[in-house]
Amino acid sequence: MKRTKRTLGLMLAMLMLLLAFAGCGPNGADTTQPPADNTGTPATQPAGEQKLEGEITFWHSFTQGPRLETIQAAADQFMADNPGVKINIETFSWADFYTKWTTGLASGNVPDMSSALPTQVVEMIDADAILPLDDLIDRIGRDKFYEKALVEMTAEDGHCYGVTLYSNTEAMWYRKDLMEKYDLEIPETWEEMYECAKIITEGENGAVYGAAFPMGTNDMLATRWLHLYVRSAGETLITEDGKANLTSPTAIDGINYWVKVYQDCSPADSINYNTLDEATMYYQGKLAFDFNTGFHISGVQENSPDLMEYIDCAPIPRVNEGDPAVGCETNNTPLVIWKNSEHPEICEAFIEYFYEPERYVDFLLSVPVGMMPAIQGVTDNEKYQSNEIVQQFQHADEVLNQMLPGSTAIGMEYGPRPEAGLLTSQHVIEEMFQDIILNGTPVEEAAQAAEDELNELFETVG
Amino acid sequence: MGSRRYRAKIAAFCFILPALLVALLLLLYPVISSVFYSFTSKHLIKADYDFVGLKNYIDVLTDADFWRSFFTNIKWTVASLAGQILVGFTAALALERIKHWRSFYRTILIIPWAFPSIVIALSWKWILNGVSGFLPNFLVNIGLFEQAPQFLSSGALVFPTMVFINIWFGAPLIMVNVLSALQTVPKDQYEAAQLDGASPLQSFIHITIPHIRVVVGLLVVLRTIWIFNSFDMIYLITGGGPAGLTETVPIYAYNIGWGLKMLGRSSAVTVLLLIFLLIVCFMYFKLLDQWEKEAG
Repeated sequence: MKRTKRTLGLMLAMLMLLLAFAGCGPNGADTTQPPADNTGTPATQPAGEQKLEGEITFWHSFTQGPRLETIQAAADQFMADNPGVKINIETFSWADFYTKWTTGLASGNVPDMSSALPTQVVEMIDADAILPLDDLIDRIGRDKFYEKALVEMTAEDGHCYGVTLYSNTEAMWYRKDLMEKYDLEIPETWEEMYECAKIITEGENGAVYGAAFPMGTNDMLATRWLHLYVRSAGETLITEDGKANLTSPTAIDGINYWVKVYQDCSPADSINYNTLDEATMYYQGKLAFDFNTGFHISGVQENSPDLMEYIDCAPIPRVNEGDPAVGCETNNTPLVIWKNSEHPEICEAFIEYFYEPERYVDFLLSVPVGMMPAIQGVTDNEKYQSNEIVQQFQHADEVLNQMLPGSTAIGMEYGPRPEAGLLTSQHVIEEMFQDIILNGTPVEEAAQAAEDELNELFETVG
Repeated sequence: MGSRRYRAKIAAFCFILPALLVALLLLLYPVISSVFYSFTSKHLIKADYDFVGLKNYIDVLTDADFWRSFFTNIKWTVASLAGQILVGFTAALALERIKHWRSFYRTILIIPWAFPSIVIALSWKWILNGVSGFLPNFLVNIGLFEQAPQFLSSGALVFPTMVFINIWFGAPLIMVNVLSALQTVPKDQYEAAQLDGASPLQSFIHITIPHIRVVVGLLVVLRTIWIFNSFDMIYLITGGGPAGLTETVPIYAYNIGWGLKMLGRSSAVTVLLLIFLLIVCFMYFKLLDQWEKEAG
């Protein structure tokens, strides 16, 4: 009996070990061979010239209600216009989407078309998983797209692999009521922003903070904020030859600047903040300044509508007074068509259909001012201009549109590159800031160590 | 006769075949593929890979971050396990003595196990939030602290805080199992000890512990594996930070496998983890074996 119990115990422990181990290891699926019958040549069938028939699956990460509804409505209408077509829409968060496609690539368990992030497009191209879309872009009108939005999706082979669905650009968000209360001018330089944030932090005595410098290692916000500082001075965190740049005088100034902001103007907890924590602080009215896109408007509207009349945005501050206000970061969210698709012609036709003004404007207005059009001229539309939020945030819309042209995703300033993905996904910069703040490591030493670590990581994709 | 026995064996094999296939496909295949990939340059989304021998193991074993996360993992396991046993054992002994409403109290105490990790993690993040969290503000309001303590961002507090959450989460399981074991101890032995003038402490040491130590020992083995491999709670609350203070080996492996997409190297980490845990289990079972012999 004892022996049986012991054997049972041993078996149970072994089973647990194996279960735990099975969870840690690879998923067992081999990776990403596209189907043998797919040559990878650009999808060239022009839409509208043939009767469309077939079923496609569309994965997207627009999980918020209004966006999801406008896409579903467009798909329903498309299916009604093309009775032989069935579009299955599946929605995932961005994190789940990344897990789904990276693990599904080997088994062919990827959709026909999907949304993506710019850094993911680089990985998809690298894995030979998506189709070039030059013909589709030409049909929509290549000259309508912002140049940078196309450059970001263009691989070394000269083909463009993604069609930007919308863009959003970073700006400095502030609270008008707090600026008035403390008789402050809208800051134009980083030092001015620090002074304003410090005055508000001290004046509000913990009820409101000037800013919250976010360093959570499960997000990339510290990288973003350092990038904004460095870009505002015309530099980049990844140099033209693909090396990390954290030790230039501007980068060191930027690191010192954000450490100072953390120490004097931020809640201590922001050392762990991710996007949600940061946004929640702003929505709760506990932050005077924040850096974000026009999505902040819908966030505030949903969470604390009373604050709507007090928020606005201004251009990203500059290092020196008199420097031109420049766009520092724009995220172009594209649609891609997967090589595994049996019906790329349906995907292309649906994308083209979606860009028609009556549908595209509805989509943009599902997050007004938040989603900026990827193609020029669309916002002249009367329906767009008469939207209540667009009218209320006309100034913010102008600021964001002023900053949009010319800026790119972080690390993509010299075109699409896999290093950009590592810069934002490996949290090296977040760890560097935490090391400086918690362990007291000198800024130059921490910056050099982080730069070396990033360059080592870059070699894995070089 | 022989043919009948042979047919019976075939039938028996057919009955166990589904379970065997499930075990092979769901358990052994990932483990074997992990071991295989640990000797290759396998990448998460690239098709081609090469055999690289022991390179992944050398890279891991010479990486200072691996050793930092390994020792953090040891501290995390030992502190959590000791706390869970202490709290679980105490709660079980207390419940044993309660005559009324025992089921109610047991249900209340098991509540942490009823919630998914994501709910627990987000709840604790909210409770401990340094600006608007209930606990830091409560401690300030009652005058214990002048400023809100930063449980999740202070270098001195974050690790003990995570251990505390893990104890809160894991102690109920120990409690339920110890309580069940306590109920199997023959009551007449306590009565005999009482007649012989034994104190409660002596009864506990000489009657209770020998009866339940095998069950507790087995529980310790299972919890050691569980805690050592735990990932979700730490990842969801601190992400391994700040400054790597709560980064354990599973988070280290995850970052390599899913962040860097270096599945070969990540597999090497998991193989090393398996070897380490097998050694620990072997030592535990030797001890259990000895206890059983002593009891016999």
